[in-house]
Amino acid sequence: MSDPSDPAVAVELRGVAKRFGSFTAVDHLDLAIRAGEFFTLLGASGCGKTTTLRLIAGFELPTEGHVLLGGRDVSEVPAFQRPVHTVFQNYALFPHLSVLDNVAFPLRVRRLSRAEQRARAMAALEMVQLQGLADRKPSQLSGGQQQRAALARALVNEPQVLLLDEPLGALDLKLRKEMQLELKAMQRRLGITFVFVTHDQEEALTMSDRIALMQGGRIVQLDTPTGLYDAPQSLYAAQFIGETNLIAGRVVSSGAAGTVVETLGRRMTLPPSAVAAGDAVTLAIRPERLRRGGGTDAPEGRLEELDFIGTDLRLVYRMADGSRLVLRQQNDGGPMPTPGEAARIAFSPRDLRLFPTDPERTPQ
Amino acid sequence: MRRAARERVETAALLAPSVVLLAVFVLLPLCIVAAYSFALRDPYGAVLPGFTFDNYAELFQGVYLLVFVNSFKLAAATTVLCLLIGYPVAYYIAFKAGRAAPALLLLLLIPFWINFLIRISAWVVLLGRGGLVNGALQASGLTDAPLGLLNTLGATLVGMVYAFLPLTVFPIYAALQPIDRRLLEAGADLGAGPAETFWRVTLPLSLPGVLAAALFVFVPSMGVFAIPVLLGGGKDIILGNLIVQLFLEFRNIPLGAAVSMLLLALSGLGILAYMRALRRVEAMR
Repeated sequence: MSDPSDPAVAVELRGVAKRFGSFTAVDHLDLAIRAGEFFTLLGASGCGKTTTLRLIAGFELPTEGHVLLGGRDVSEVPAFQRPVHTVFQNYALFPHLSVLDNVAFPLRVRRLSRAEQRARAMAALEMVQLQGLADRKPSQLSGGQQQRAALARALVNEPQVLLLDEPLGALDLKLRKEMQLELKAMQRRLGITFVFVTHDQEEALTMSDRIALMQGGRIVQLDTPTGLYDAPQSLYAAQFIGETNLIAGRVVSSGAAGTVVETLGRRMTLPPSAVAAGDAVTLAIRPERLRRGGGTDAPEGRLEELDFIGTDLRLVYRMADGSRLVLRQQNDGGPMPTPGEAARIAFSPRDLRLFPTDPERTPQ
Repeated sequence: MRRAARERVETAALLAPSVVLLAVFVLLPLCIVAAYSFALRDPYGAVLPGFTFDNYAELFQGVYLLVFVNSFKLAAATTVLCLLIGYPVAYYIAFKAGRAAPALLLLLLIPFWINFLIRISAWVVLLGRGGLVNGALQASGLTDAPLGLLNTLGATLVGMVYAFLPLTVFPIYAALQPIDRRLLEAGADLGAGPAETFWRVTLPLSLPGVLAAALFVFVPSMGVFAIPVLLGGGKDIILGNLIVQLFLEFRNIPLGAAVSMLLLALSGLGILAYMRALRRVEAMR
């Protein structure tokens, strides 16, 4: 737990729980979001990420615990008095107001002079390159333009914290990629804390400084994108982030020198781990950490599927023991493998992550 | 081509019953009333064929103008009261009632299953000297003797609001109900308190319903007859009872017809005003 007066903490949740009737949406969450950070709440639908965002915005009040903004306890402060603004999933632009009036709305609420309202709203529209559409109605804008208008409206007041609730979900893929980069660049330039909610792990990895992966109202892992991708702390995290191969294995011996595991008909030594000899375990490895070719000690498989992705090849092998391995390699211009072809699959044991087998999540 | 012709026949066949019904029972009587309004009459009240504008000219005399002003005032007061009372009711049902909303809307409708005159007569009983309202006032010690509630403007307005309130609640509810709740959250998020969010977001978005409600109340209020007579004692002559008197008591059918036509024209103007206002509201979004 951090010092409440720490200026480096923009948003803090302390033991926050939110229950709707008997349903627990957020389960005793502790979280400190640093000022100026691009922070992402990531998870499948129903994991509590949106409720967490709404608790920060003030649309929901916590059943238990405290919400702090800039060190001030705002747990009981209504949304309209909190120094945060939200970019809503479907933008929530006011249909009866022009784009300019939408963006000027928070300034008008603050009773700024007409001239200042206009000047600042126009500046915000210029920032998102919508100055030419100021007099349009939201219904006359494309999805991407509405998105920008919503962003301008949320930023015009220069909030300490900007909350974004799956703001890119409704955009097509190309526009989404563009907006990801643009949002990230804008966040760096303005130095505003962004709290971003998404279910798209790729989006989270691309944009975030840190990611809180949520499940069942709790944080499963709070980490940097590289940490979350390369060192998942649970089977759930390994599966949720990116593509991963899960292979069944059995612990042969476990000690301070390392854990010996039998998998794919081979024995390999992994770093020490809290498992006992005889335990069933699941081993996770990323497709890009597998290589075709290798010595006679490497397990053998037969190519079942081949997907050509342009920059990459995605190869699916059926191994001798029946397990299925996905392998990704760069399209380096070499000869293309053909389905049915046998190959030895090599990998380094240090790229394997070992997890106790969850009876509900058996690999293949 | 054949198919198009068949479709035309089908359309005509489907439309025919309602067209015939409207022509015989609305358009034709209307034409007769219109014709009467230009007719002459003999001293005993019989309608004589002819063509004159005298009946309309007579309407612009002071007495009749006063009747129009009275009617307009009553209709305007009823409309304003209905909107002021109906809006919060509609707001509550749309935003706060949750799953009870359909039941509440049904409750608003139930009185309509009872005959209109019986419902208004019930108010005569309620507001009378020995009625429930006076009884309650005396029992609570607020008054010593029964108040003369009946045959007052207040009683008329109570009856009018009672009769027309559902007509305001429904269109306003219909306009409020589909408003995206996230817009209200967006208002709060951007710093507007509940009152300001209502003023800047909810109210403008519900204006089409408010306009429809005003129309639904104002137009029939202009021609109302039974309520002012039963509850207000018919002291202020308004268009509705003027028409009845002209037709039935004074047997001046051409003049009564002229008043009716003018009332129709005023209602038409009301609808035009509504449509213009609606277009302006729609253009805002």
